[in-house]
Amino acid sequence: MTPSAVSSFRPWHLFVLAALVAATVVILVARPSDPVVAVLLTLAIGAGGFVGLMTYRTIKPLTQRDFVEATTMAGSRTRAAVEREKTLVLRSLKELEFDRAMGKVSSHDFDEMGGRLRTRAISLMKQLDVQEVNFLPLIEQELRNRLEAAGEDPDAAAVASSAPLSSGDLVCESCETSNDRDACFCKGCGKPL
Amino acid sequence: MASLGYFTLLAAFVVCSYAAAVCVAGARRRAPRLVESGVGAFYLVMALMLLATAVIIHAFITGDYSIRYVDMVSDSAQPLFYQITAYWGGLDGSIMFWVTLLSIFGTCAVYTNRERHRELIPYVVAVISVVQMFFLFVMIVHKNPFATYLTQTPIDGRGLNPLLQNFYMAIHPPSLYIGFVGMTVPFAFAMAALITGHVDDSWLRAVRRWTMMAWLFLTLGLALGMIWAYEELGWGGYWGWDPVENAALLPWFTATAFLHSVMVQERRSMLRVWNMTLVILTFFLTIFGTFMTRSGIVQSVHAFGQDTALAIMFTVFMVVLLVFSFGLVIYRLPLLRARNELESWVSREAAFLVNNWVLLFSAVFVLFATMFPTLSEAVTGARLTVGPPFFTKWMMPIGLILLTLTGIGPLLAWRRSSTSNLVYQFTWPVSVALATGAGLYALGFRVWVSGVCFALCGFVVGTIGQEFIRGAFVRREATGTDLFTALVGLVGRSRRRYGGMIVHVGIVLMFLGFAGSGYKLDSQVLLRPGDTHDIGRYSIQYDRLSTNTDDQKQMITAHMTVFEDGVNVGGLTPARWYFFKHESEPTTEVGIRHTVSEDLYIVLAGYEVGNQAGSFQITVNPLVNWIWFGFTVLALGTGLALLPESAFAYAAATVPAGTATASMALLAAVLTLGPTSVAAQPLGLQGAQQEVNVPASDLEIDLRRSLVCMCGSPGCGKKILAECVCAEAAATREELKGLVAEGLTRDEVLRFYIDKHGSQEALAMPLDEGFNRLAWLFPYLLAAAGAVALGAALVRWTRDGRNLQPTTGHAEADSLLEARLDDELRNLD
Repeated sequence: MTPSAVSSFRPWHLFVLAALVAATVVILVARPSDPVVAVLLTLAIGAGGFVGLMTYRTIKPLTQRDFVEATTMAGSRTRAAVEREKTLVLRSLKELEFDRAMGKVSSHDFDEMGGRLRTRAISLMKQLDVQEVNFLPLIEQELRNRLEAAGEDPDAAAVASSAPLSSGDLVCESCETSNDRDACFCKGCGKPL
Repeated sequence: MASLGYFTLLAAFVVCSYAAAVCVAGARRRAPRLVESGVGAFYLVMALMLLATAVIIHAFITGDYSIRYVDMVSDSAQPLFYQITAYWGGLDGSIMFWVTLLSIFGTCAVYTNRERHRELIPYVVAVISVVQMFFLFVMIVHKNPFATYLTQTPIDGRGLNPLLQNFYMAIHPPSLYIGFVGMTVPFAFAMAALITGHVDDSWLRAVRRWTMMAWLFLTLGLALGMIWAYEELGWGGYWGWDPVENAALLPWFTATAFLHSVMVQERRSMLRVWNMTLVILTFFLTIFGTFMTRSGIVQSVHAFGQDTALAIMFTVFMVVLLVFSFGLVIYRLPLLRARNELESWVSREAAFLVNNWVLLFSAVFVLFATMFPTLSEAVTGARLTVGPPFFTKWMMPIGLILLTLTGIGPLLAWRRSSTSNLVYQFTWPVSVALATGAGLYALGFRVWVSGVCFALCGFVVGTIGQEFIRGAFVRREATGTDLFTALVGLVGRSRRRYGGMIVHVGIVLMFLGFAGSGYKLDSQVLLRPGDTHDIGRYSIQYDRLSTNTDDQKQMITAHMTVFEDGVNVGGLTPARWYFFKHESEPTTEVGIRHTVSEDLYIVLAGYEVGNQAGSFQITVNPLVNWIWFGFTVLALGTGLALLPESAFAYAAATVPAGTATASMALLAAVLTLGPTSVAAQPLGLQGAQQEVNVPASDLEIDLRRSLVCMCGSPGCGKKILAECVCAEAAATREELKGLVAEGLTRDEVLRFYIDKHGSQEALAMPLDEGFNRLAWLFPYLLAAAGAVALGAALVRWTRDGRNLQPTTGHAEADSLLEARLDDELRNLD
């Protein structure tokens, strides 16, 4: 079996197969006279297989290493709130324009309410402009934290990831392009590796 | 198999507790793998419930009568369809079905929201799991559907109650249950938001769609229940204000209120605490409804019977529920405090507030009136009846107010409407209403309630039509396309708004149907073969009586020929079916001729095989089919509002797919099956009885509506005398005729029946005296209290609004920002 074939085999395949086999066996053994019963037995066993799959789904996360919950960046929540409010105000403005066109709001009220909403929207946009943060250092910091938590040397990892050619990479024999470790075909010339 | 089923339920309980515990632990300790495992366990509960379902259906189909529940509600002669639906035909199975649906619905909700609302999910899972645990607990310790007989396995089951062997009864509970369990999802999200403190609007966005879906199913469930009552119960009506019907109506009121007030929160960030409260109340009322139907605290046609242990379990659960959820609301009050500001009382927000007030009043009033007999018995020891007349007295004006609001709301602008605009907005709708009213008056329609209702329907239709047409014109100008494209684009752009409008059209059609009952004709006649009877435009000829038997039942069928304006329009065959093993509960097969304008409705009330005579209750129900049609339109509108964003992105004008189609198909099936359906229902009609008793005076008609049938059989359920068709009701009507003939006044007759039964139980409405005065006073107090609270809120918010208003005008001359704003506004479309 090739490595790629192994990787495409998912746990649920196993349970579907098992359920199918079990259903076949049960039908052969029980030989129900009524086709409805046969269908029902199959469905019951299907449900059983589903139970198995879900049990697997319950247990699997426990066996994995815990990753650190994505830290909420300082200010991101308030920023989201401001953005939401801005959308709200913009929608209100839009709706007000529509109501105006529908003849529900007098032009005096429209000017007054619309002006107020615009002022509010602009002040929110200004706030957002000020808060516009540079995400790159934050991402780098986050990456560093996670690597440290995973017990790897962040600096080494940084070097490794930045260097295009490292010892583990596959190099194509015909065109010498470097490929990912798990690649089956060369991304430069398409020949199998 | 039984032990496998029971083991599955036990396992589900354990897994549920695991899911709840692990999710909470994972969220507290910020350990995603624990949460992941908990979510997996939550899915596992669904898998287990599906397995248990498969096991019990297998038991039904193979006829495993060693299982007590299977023995009680199924037998070998039942058709396959009813063998399967027997699953939810009894108390134990219906609880299990409930948990199964909840697990499926919950899993879907968690699965679709697991990424977007990561911080809420653990608590959502925990809350739904706890609710599931309660029902699983009830099953495991008290109502185990897999309980077996220790000795003597019966050879055949006792069979499903004949009244449940009916197409509508088979699909009505699932629909209603989906509506009920669906309300758990918004509740769980609300609780999660409160626990985590993320009480911004994001939880609302997560639950909006689910609430709408649950609401749709709840509405469909109510509609199917009404069709069932109409086609099978055989008393000529569709809603009897029975406690169990009311139980389903209560959450419908609060959910409807929530669907409206949620818009205020979305648009204006107001009413946060209120929306939270509505979600909690809706969920509480679904549980309370279940409690009412299952514990036997109220008497009803289809309550499941007395059960004290179950009543105690439910009471404890409900108390915990209320304390926990409202405790959380109070704890989070500082976070929930919103900047409520109301710019004007003449605004959409204010209209929504009034709508909420009316809907809440309806819910509390119906709850109170339903529970009043129980309350009165507890306080004074005397049983009494709060019957349909009492409900109608209050709900009729409330319905009309709601209908009016349906027309007014959309005409008002958010924030503020000025007088000149109001005139412009109201001209057409009011003209339509006046024209309708005047037209009807000129045509000689004189039932004023129905007339007002028709006029209001005209008003609402005027409003909705105007909204669509003006909206399309505005959009045509903005986009420069033709009117039709503009209309489609308009609807596509704000589906929720126009879907909601279509729902309102459905409501209008339903009200047309309700108003039609003001022109109802009915008569009770004894006919011999060859006799004819005239009613309205119809002339009905009774031909013969036939007797047939099949595997399950004996059928007594009357064959009648109907002439409309002298033209033969076909035959009708009202019948009585006597199911074997249930001979004492014959079912009534109503003969109905459906037309768009009215239904001819014939019930075989009694018969004599010897001389082939039959006594019939013949009713003409005008406009009744418009109610069902209204429900179809309502489902379509909800489907439109539910459509995902992408549906219109691909094709701005394609036919609504998905939900709309599904619900349409369901209702279309219901409607097309309607006329041909020959299934029937309960009524403890004891044997044959012949009655030709046409009321002689208005007093007698009035009294027939003021007294209820006291036979106590589960089928009658204290129906009013004018409508009940059982033998005892016939005897009472005879007695009543005698009393009126003796010259007794109304009060004397009522007094006679109070003395006869030793209490006011025989009266459809309690007399306005003593403790019962409370029943009459309460609605006024409630309405007044609501109005005061509403007024206070309005006044305070208006004042707040004024104080908080930022200084208007002068946007800084920041032309760059202005330009950007205009740009973003254009892109928002």
